Amino acid sequence: MAFDAVAAARSARNAGIYALLVAAVVLAALFVPSFATPTNVGNVVTQSAALGLVAIGQTFVIAAGMIDLSVGQLLGLSVVLTCALSEGRGELLVPVALAMVALGAVVGSVHSWLVNWLRIEPLILTFGSLSILQGVIFTMTDRSVGRAPEALRWIANERVLGFPVAGVLLVVFGVVAHALLRNTRFGLRLLATGDDGESARRAGVDVARVRWGAFVLSAIGATAGGLLVAGRLGTGYPNAGQGFELDAIVAAVLGGTSLAGGRASIVGTIGAVLLLGVIANVLNLLEVSAFVQTLAKGLIVVGAILLTRGAPVVAARAPGAVAAG
Amino acid sequence: MRNEPSRRTFVGGSLALALGGTSTLLTPLAARAQTTDRAAQKKQMAETVDTAKFKKAGPYTIGVAAGYMSNSWVVFCLQHIRWEASQHKDVKDVIVTDASFNPGKQVADIEDLISKNVSLIIYWPVDEKAIQPALEKAVAKGIPTINAGGGFTYSNGTVSNAFIDQYALGEMVAQHFAADLGGKGKVFAMLPIAGTTAAVDQLAALKDVLAKHKGIELLSAEHGDWNRAKAKQITENLLQRYPKIDGVYSPAGQMSMGVVEAFEEAGRAKNLVMSPGDEYNGWMKWVVKNKKGGAVTFPTRAGQEATKLGLRILAGQPVPRGLVIPSQYIAPAEAAKYAEMDKPDDWWASNLPANFKPKA
Amino acid sequence: MGATVRDVLGRWAIVLVFALLYGVAVLLSDAFLEPVYVGNILRQAAPVGIAAIGTTLVMILGAVDLSIGAIISFSAVFCAVMMQGEAGNIGIAVAATLVVAAAFGAINGALNLASPGSSFILTLGSALALYGLTQLYSGGTARGIVSPGFREFFNHRLGDVLPVLALAMLAIAAVMEIVLRTTRFGRQIYLIGSNREAARLSGLPVAAVTFACYVVSGLFAGLGGIAVLARSGVSSTFVGRGFEFDALAAIVLGGTVFRGGRGTVVGTVAGTLVLFIAFNLVNILGFNYNLQLVLKGTIIIVASAGYAWLGRDR
Repeated sequence: MAFDAVAAARSARNAGIYALLVAAVVLAALFVPSFATPTNVGNVVTQSAALGLVAIGQTFVIAAGMIDLSVGQLLGLSVVLTCALSEGRGELLVPVALAMVALGAVVGSVHSWLVNWLRIEPLILTFGSLSILQGVIFTMTDRSVGRAPEALRWIANERVLGFPVAGVLLVVFGVVAHALLRNTRFGLRLLATGDDGESARRAGVDVARVRWGAFVLSAIGATAGGLLVAGRLGTGYPNAGQGFELDAIVAAVLGGTSLAGGRASIVGTIGAVLLLGVIANVLNLLEVSAFVQTLAKGLIVVGAILLTRGAPVVAARAPGAVAAG
Repeated sequence: MRNEPSRRTFVGGSLALALGGTSTLLTPLAARAQTTDRAAQKKQMAETVDTAKFKKAGPYTIGVAAGYMSNSWVVFCLQHIRWEASQHKDVKDVIVTDASFNPGKQVADIEDLISKNVSLIIYWPVDEKAIQPALEKAVAKGIPTINAGGGFTYSNGTVSNAFIDQYALGEMVAQHFAADLGGKGKVFAMLPIAGTTAAVDQLAALKDVLAKHKGIELLSAEHGDWNRAKAKQITENLLQRYPKIDGVYSPAGQMSMGVVEAFEEAGRAKNLVMSPGDEYNGWMKWVVKNKKGGAVTFPTRAGQEATKLGLRILAGQPVPRGLVIPSQYIAPAEAAKYAEMDKPDDWWASNLPANFKPKA
Repeated sequence: MGATVRDVLGRWAIVLVFALLYGVAVLLSDAFLEPVYVGNILRQAAPVGIAAIGTTLVMILGAVDLSIGAIISFSAVFCAVMMQGEAGNIGIAVAATLVVAAAFGAINGALNLASPGSSFILTLGSALALYGLTQLYSGGTARGIVSPGFREFFNHRLGDVLPVLALAMLAIAAVMEIVLRTTRFGRQIYLIGSNREAARLSGLPVAAVTFACYVVSGLFAGLGGIAVLARSGVSSTFVGRGFEFDALAAIVLGGTVFRGGRGTVVGTVAGTLVLFIAFNLVNILGFNYNLQLVLKGTIIIVASAGYAWLGRDR
């Protein structure tokens, strides 16, 4: 009975974000000239795909009751490494892509180790690692380096039968992530840990391992997003990842994932990412100044939190505060 | 816990890998000696562009894909674009997008401008290479693209350039600098963001000029990123490292201000020789007050020239691949004509009419 | 026994670190023995230090304020515009700037009360909005002219050694430390930070204190912006970007644990000095400027872990 209610509430929230998305698209098609062309709509999807991957990863971490602020810079590192290592050579695409997955696994593991064994709060930890990663990138290079392989550029930019390939990739990732969250024991344990770490531990959940999985998924989301951005830019721009972490968190929260942990929706996250993409596109098409766009973005962030806040009493604990253990 | 040892191993191994990886990553990637082939570039600049495919009738909409707007030079450049546009009856609108230093956004901005069917795209890049594919899309649709600013781009995505020759600028600055130094002394260079055409060419020009003045020693080349506070902080540390510094090569007036402040606060400004800066108003005020330094201009009317180029292309007239906006030297004695003492530091001398000047 | 040793270590850790680092710095470069150079470091540290003092209160409370970089940037530009190059405007420019900065702090405080526990993302969002506002206000250029005499006053060295700006930082720190230790307001901050629920149940004015701390944080960020203006003038609309990292590193280094309930202003100032000595060390040894970013992040992580370890089993 209770389970049904939870699932029903989740479906309602998902429906909510998609209703917003549809409403935004319809309004834009009616009132914004140049919006409703196949080219432009495809552009929106292509422009949003990388953020989608990062946001999906972030959803797992937030669901576990933590946060990962380092994903933006990690994405930037991935962009630089992808281009620098492959130097445009197509045959290196697969090895480099695997290397990026490995990079995500390593970074995620380091994060989870520091959280589990040194008891550092994820917020502070990833705030610090963000700075470290940025320093690493800029020490490696202060200018664009390398070239992305043609195949990667094709994936990130082109369309097949009118559908952006990057969008297809996003959907595939989304389906896999959704299954991971809803249909596996890992997903169940993840949500239980996020909901109440102490109870989960007492129920026999290996909380440390769950955190490990969450951080690894978040980091891989970032490095995979980096592959797409590398394909989009074609070159390894060091500051490519700036701001992704904030956008990813906002997308997750707007999509129904609670910052307090325990409640998450991959489907909702993807819907929110697309909504953010539509908003950015519309603002550009309406020739709104970039200064106003920045202001608007900040207001959206604040608004998203205020509108979707969890139960105030429970949330008295700062999100990501690791309970004793 | 069945998997405890293997998980610990993995985590421990990852940590070791991470630390090892971080330390190797902390070494700069193979530093590529980046230089511009001047002879080749001169030939490229002179090439004529066949503009037949871009010819179209008005009314025109000009799209400006700004890599960034949070910089007084580009603000003035944009005002020059608007001013020039206002003088042509067949230009009905100027649309501006701002990527705020995000190359991914600049790609999206260019795509959005194409969606809006602009007639012409003027741009200054966050990163040239990153936006080439998007620019090529524009060109393929018959939208000419013009690079306005401080670097020459020769590629399929850029139809023409209205630019300032950074090497020529750097050379002029360095020659006056060497003369003011009397041909000898220890100096350092304060350069813009590493990797930009400006930084690369200015340093190359300095080195070429110094090759003819063996008495001048270049202690260090620093990147102040067009940031006055950063330039000041770097200079403070250089002043500690090197007990004797006779002069500073700094073609960007904005950074020169940070540099001289550091010297003044350290009490070592008296015999300091500053190279000419540019016509950045804060720097011009300093030149007027201290009667030394001078300037080699970095004209913001590049925007105006870019607009004129664009309109010629749209009329089907032939244009060169690269149009240089020449820099001129301003001696310290003449600085007073250019400095606007009642305007902010973050300001540029120009011929803009009052209603097109940015708000002060 | 172990707990007492850890207690003492926890309290004095920052002083030990400071002494150790300074010793190492002197060994590596005798520049650190020169009073003028040390005075310079103090002046470099002043904007961050002053802002961090205000934010320390918020962090003792158990929240964060990541918008101080944006408030500093706005304040610097706003103050310069208010001055309009006239010496007579200094007073009103400074006053107006502080009022506006405190107002932003108030907005942050209100947001935090509306959605407690999400302070990091709320302040990241308000920072973004404020950056947009700053750009709109300035039109992209750092308009505004500093009044004559203003910068000269703050950069002037007393006894040829100590810049006035540095003295200002030390004075502000002393005042705030006294407020924290001796006033009821200060005690309430510690209590609420240690256990918010218990404090609320005991009838402490949790909402009011939280709100006040954010206002203070905003106000001090405004002071920090004025300090930046004094130190290096203003040539861009985001002079303060990244300052929140420096401040957080300094605060955490100084012993204010992220969970709240502990921390001192003295610790924060000491942390700021350690940070800037480290930065200058990196520069003076000729290392890549970007290593500072790695250093900042490492300090944040190591200091947090260290203090958490020292404070365990309380």
